[in-house]
Amino acid sequence: MSQATPQGESALTPEVKGVIGATGEKIEASFPWGIEREGLRIFTQAIMDPDPRYWDEDFAKTTKFGGIITPPIYCTYLGRRQRPGTEDPVTRAFQENPNSDGIGGVRGPDEKGGLPNVPTSLKRILNAGNEIELRQYPKLGDRIYSQARYGDIKERVGKDGTRMLIVTTETTYTNQNGEVLCILRASQIRR
Amino acid sequence: MTTAQELREKKQLHFDDVSVGQQLPPLIIGPLTATHMFRWSAAIENWHRIHYDQSFAIYHEGLPSVLGQGSWKQSILPRYLKDLCLPDGWPWKVSFQHRAMIVPGDTITVWATVTKKYEEEGLGFVDLDVGMRLAYDAESCPGKATIVLPIRGGRAIPYPFVPPKKLAGN
Repeated sequence: MSQATPQGESALTPEVKGVIGATGEKIEASFPWGIEREGLRIFTQAIMDPDPRYWDEDFAKTTKFGGIITPPIYCTYLGRRQRPGTEDPVTRAFQENPNSDGIGGVRGPDEKGGLPNVPTSLKRILNAGNEIELRQYPKLGDRIYSQARYGDIKERVGKDGTRMLIVTTETTYTNQNGEVLCILRASQIRR
Repeated sequence: MTTAQELREKKQLHFDDVSVGQQLPPLIIGPLTATHMFRWSAAIENWHRIHYDQSFAIYHEGLPSVLGQGSWKQSILPRYLKDLCLPDGWPWKVSFQHRAMIVPGDTITVWATVTKKYEEEGLGFVDLDVGMRLAYDAESCPGKATIVLPIRGGRAIPYPFVPPKKLAGN
């Protein structure tokens, strides 16, 4: 159910404006051993990209990148993986709910690096699109860090006068040297 | 599909060679199967059952079949732009929205059309309309992109890429 803001009453309240620019903790998205070949092989085969820059070290050394690289946005998926030594979320989810959809309860809440909730009564969330900006390809052995912030929150008024918010979360991925690899801007409609 | 050898020997597309309205070479992927979708789910540990459990997708979620993942599409567009720019260009940025569903049996044409070209700080910027078209002409992932292509006789594109101040934040 939509929790639409009454017509004429702005959804972009001072409290909502107050979280613009809020920044989460910088967290390590990769495992302590960094980017490794086997994970890279599995990922590149799943996007059906046979580029030798991902696996042929001799060739990769001759390119402008100077060595093996990863696909442009590989680093944005690293943080989703189950960390070794943690409770199996799949088993737990289906013990709690045999009809689990595979997401509810499986993907644990982000305990680190999360942003504060947007203080709004608008509860329905829709994907409004993404933007990916690339600066540098991650390399084998790189350790990847991510940090999220609310880049912007705007108000939009629908044809029926319903007010909604466009919330853009900007996540910056860096390597162990603090160099920016890519920036993911994900926009959500809250209505 | 592109082969490893084609990517190894890829000839550079130059800024001088593109013009507004030009359609760049497409990438055709497919037909996709439920196994492709399962492989992607496993690769990124996305356990949402609508992507690999057909009974759940159809009878519980009311979908036509298992669905291709938005995250997969999100990975294919930058891969396509990377291929266009190799070996010395740079796929700077891409934005997109998710539209038509991808289901097993679909063949996808990843496409790009030049909408604008301009120089900044001696680098050649090319704006594109991009997308992933399905065989029945539905658009699954419409968007816009900006790539940087070498100008013949011009300076090398810096790596790591740092956008010109005038364009940063656009």
